[in-house]
Amino acid sequence: MRHACGSVHCIIAMLAWVQSATAALSDVPGTPVDVLAGAPTDVSVTVYRAPRSGGSIDLDELQGFALVSETRTVHIPAGESRLRFDGVADGIEPASAIVTGLPPIIEKNRDAELLSPAALVAAAVGKPVVLLRTNKKTGVVEQLRGTIKSDAGGGVLYETADGIEALRCSGLPETFSFSSVMGLAATPSLSVLVRTPREVTATVTLSYLSGGFDWAADYVAMLAPDSSTMDLGAWVTLANGNGVGFPAAHTQVVAGRLNRETGVYEPVEHGMTILASCWPRGSTSDTPMPAYLVRADDAARMSMPMMKAMLAPAPAAEVVVTAQRVQQEQLGDLKLYRVPERTTVASRQSKQVRLLDQSAVPVTFVYRADLFDAADGVSLAANLLLRTKNDAAHHLGLPLPSGHAAIFASDGDARVLVGESDVRDLALDEDVEWDLGSRADVQVTAVKERTNIDTAHAKVLPLVPGVSLRSVGVSDGERIEITNGRSSDIQFELRLQLPDGAGVVRADHALVTKNGRPLFSLTIPANGAVTVRYQVEHTANRLIRH
Amino acid sequence: MGMRGNCLGLVCCLAACTMTFAPHAPAADRSLSVTIYNDDLALIQDRRDIEVTGGKQRIEFQDVSAQIRPETVSLAAADLSIVEQNFDFDLLTPAKLMEKAVGQDITIVRVNPATGAETREQARVLATNGGVVLKIGQRIEVLRDDGLPVRVIFDKVPDNLRARPTLSVTVDSRRSGTRPATLSYLTPGLGWRADYVALYDEANNKIDVQGWVTLTNTSGTTYADAQTLLVAGSPTQVDGAPAQMGFRAQRARPALQSAGTESGNREQLGDYYLYPLAERTTIANLQTKQVSFLDVRGVPAEHGYEFRNAWLGTADQAQSAKSVYSFSTSAHAGLGDQLPAGIVRFYLRDKRGAPQFIGESRIDHTPMGSTLSLATGDAFDVKVRSTVEKRTRLATFDWQTDMRYELSNALPRPVVVTVLQGGLWGDARISAESQKSVRRSADVAEWQVSVPANGKASLTATFVTRY
Repeated sequence: MRHACGSVHCIIAMLAWVQSATAALSDVPGTPVDVLAGAPTDVSVTVYRAPRSGGSIDLDELQGFALVSETRTVHIPAGESRLRFDGVADGIEPASAIVTGLPPIIEKNRDAELLSPAALVAAAVGKPVVLLRTNKKTGVVEQLRGTIKSDAGGGVLYETADGIEALRCSGLPETFSFSSVMGLAATPSLSVLVRTPREVTATVTLSYLSGGFDWAADYVAMLAPDSSTMDLGAWVTLANGNGVGFPAAHTQVVAGRLNRETGVYEPVEHGMTILASCWPRGSTSDTPMPAYLVRADDAARMSMPMMKAMLAPAPAAEVVVTAQRVQQEQLGDLKLYRVPERTTVASRQSKQVRLLDQSAVPVTFVYRADLFDAADGVSLAANLLLRTKNDAAHHLGLPLPSGHAAIFASDGDARVLVGESDVRDLALDEDVEWDLGSRADVQVTAVKERTNIDTAHAKVLPLVPGVSLRSVGVSDGERIEITNGRSSDIQFELRLQLPDGAGVVRADHALVTKNGRPLFSLTIPANGAVTVRYQVEHTANRLIRH
Repeated sequence: MGMRGNCLGLVCCLAACTMTFAPHAPAADRSLSVTIYNDDLALIQDRRDIEVTGGKQRIEFQDVSAQIRPETVSLAAADLSIVEQNFDFDLLTPAKLMEKAVGQDITIVRVNPATGAETREQARVLATNGGVVLKIGQRIEVLRDDGLPVRVIFDKVPDNLRARPTLSVTVDSRRSGTRPATLSYLTPGLGWRADYVALYDEANNKIDVQGWVTLTNTSGTTYADAQTLLVAGSPTQVDGAPAQMGFRAQRARPALQSAGTESGNREQLGDYYLYPLAERTTIANLQTKQVSFLDVRGVPAEHGYEFRNAWLGTADQAQSAKSVYSFSTSAHAGLGDQLPAGIVRFYLRDKRGAPQFIGESRIDHTPMGSTLSLATGDAFDVKVRSTVEKRTRLATFDWQTDMRYELSNALPRPVVVTVLQGGLWGDARISAESQKSVRRSADVAEWQVSVPANGKASLTATFVTRY
């Protein structure tokens, strides 16, 4: 090094160069080596449902999540390394990532500054770039060296030897050519910083929670010709809306409601487009437009999967059905269903695995109507309910995870859909009641026949001077007519919802109380009708002035 | 000349690169210290060597947080007094540049669409209202009114237009020369919380807990090689979002069962606990960074069930009890640390030994020695159905409510469920009950109900209320 340094700057520069050279040799902290973890050798995916009480999954909005655990082999050189994991699900919740099997971890990072046209320009502000301008007539591309001066407000200004110009405001085809991607990556990357005194080869397990998954149980019931039993089958339907697939994965689903905390937002880069906004470009042929107000968008609050869902093409076009039966085990207070063989949970795919097949489950059908308070002039169709019990006597007796049920009957050779119902989580020995919707054949009409007010026993309670509270007994006589348009007898339940303190004092049919509510249980003859009369008494209070 | 030429070339490059980032403050001598509070607030202390001449001059700091709160800036350096501080937020955009050019001359280059030939003219910008009106010679024209390509070339950028919001400080220096200066300011966009991983061992009723501090940077700026300190606590912020409005939002279920009174060996600053990161670190923009601060194994923990009926009402269906895990943060048989606010994620091993997620729960800042009781979710197999059996009016304002709670347990082992009845408003009295209750508070009564394996149990209570 025989420099003839003449300036102070030169000496400073040399010192800086010597410093950086020694830094590289002594391997001080702050200069980690980038190491890429190998592809996953073993993957496990456990899918959790969206917090809902029943119903199928919505492929356009997968609100559940999954725990992904994968094993990878890594070679880490001595010193400090930044170990990067590629191919993690894009719905990853970075704070949930757990990495085991490594030397002590200094820190875990997840970088969300993504490579996009806007990010590229933003990173290049103040740096030299090449401007390409194509002559539309000749096709000749002019290359100009310049510097991006600003990308503020969506517009881009650059400086060349000519002066300062705005990108794409001239009407000429212009663009930049960049020399590098400025260290930006296509997908958010997860990395850990580790330090080891000697080279190691480690088997590393990475676990994380990720959005963009969901599952539900889909029950299909086939009624016997006499409708006294059904054959019940069910599928576990799981879906992955992520851009990443998990080949040959151990796959589990978990039933039960888990507590999830909300309100944690992770930094998300949206990859905005460059608007190339210019100066006002109104022309003499423009007509004035009225001013209008625009609400600020809250895109920043949107989660990554939501953004992806909005930007991505329609997910999960493919449905894969497998013949394997899942195996159930207890996981704390939840139910875990394991797909016995490895399966591929592909990107944007929904998959069905057999959950159960139970034959000859005894069922009963009952029609039910709910009447509130003193109903008058109300006419409504009764709902059809399918009932059974989740126990061994009813050929069930296994946890039934929530989802959706479709009930079919056979009509000769054809299959007809009797009804559909949402299914909630049902534990052993619980009553099963599926509401198949209203049936026009069974109509309920309520008429208030009379109201008697017992003024003789009215009580007056003075509150403040001039104002008193008057209590009177009120008695309503109700007449309910239930008609059956079907050609067979039906079981019918009339359920009453009375105000606090009210009670049925007399009725012309037997009245029971079920789950705290008065109930008439009736048989309505085929093509016939039944009339029920009852009397409800309660106390009414009114403020009076004198 | 050859060597010397190379050397000068290197100088130019290095000088240009560093100058672009910080014209008056070379990055090499920079030392950043970042103190991050919980509520989206950070104190940045940026120490760098500045080169100043004697007298009044302007120093620019371009690589400060993009969300800097300029009113909180202070600059400290020897023999330097501050004349004024400016925060320029008028950004350099094509529209602004054109607006500032009103009354001035620009160069326009017309491109002939047929031949590609260029014609250069000088033009004066008259107005930019809706469209750009130019005076070229004696003619008045609207820029690109005919849609044909026209390049506009500006000579220079006005002084106070910048690509990024820029802080400038005008100082009066008593002497010339390089000296260290510390620029400090508050900025939102940096925040942190804790994330806990709790692995529960069902067989031994023990829990392993790892704690991570998770800091996020959305401030728009990268803080390179920064000494980082995390402060557990929420200083009151006057402008911006108030940290705490004097009350804590009521949660359905309090996680803190008893508040601790122990002291640990964590560093403290006033009433706040400090969590310094052991090493300097680079906090990149849009980064989530986690650093371990707690790793405790084999702490005794309990698992139980809790059901809360919010008011004296009937539920249409049986409701699942909550699955609850409780443990201590005491130095004795506990985690032995203060826990900064964050989210605790619970894991349990499945039959094959693989940890599976079973739910999470948020905790507030928790003193050492506290007992935490965290609900992870609903128990699939343990349910309670609450029913109003009868509601009778005793007098105009007096009511009697007969409640029945049917508990069911589909697990092959007996469980004890804590049944809580809320909505008692202090005045409600229990006149009869099938087992003894404990009045947890004026509003809440509590029973411990045992439910046999694969069995049922019921609880009845009669409440006399006045309203």
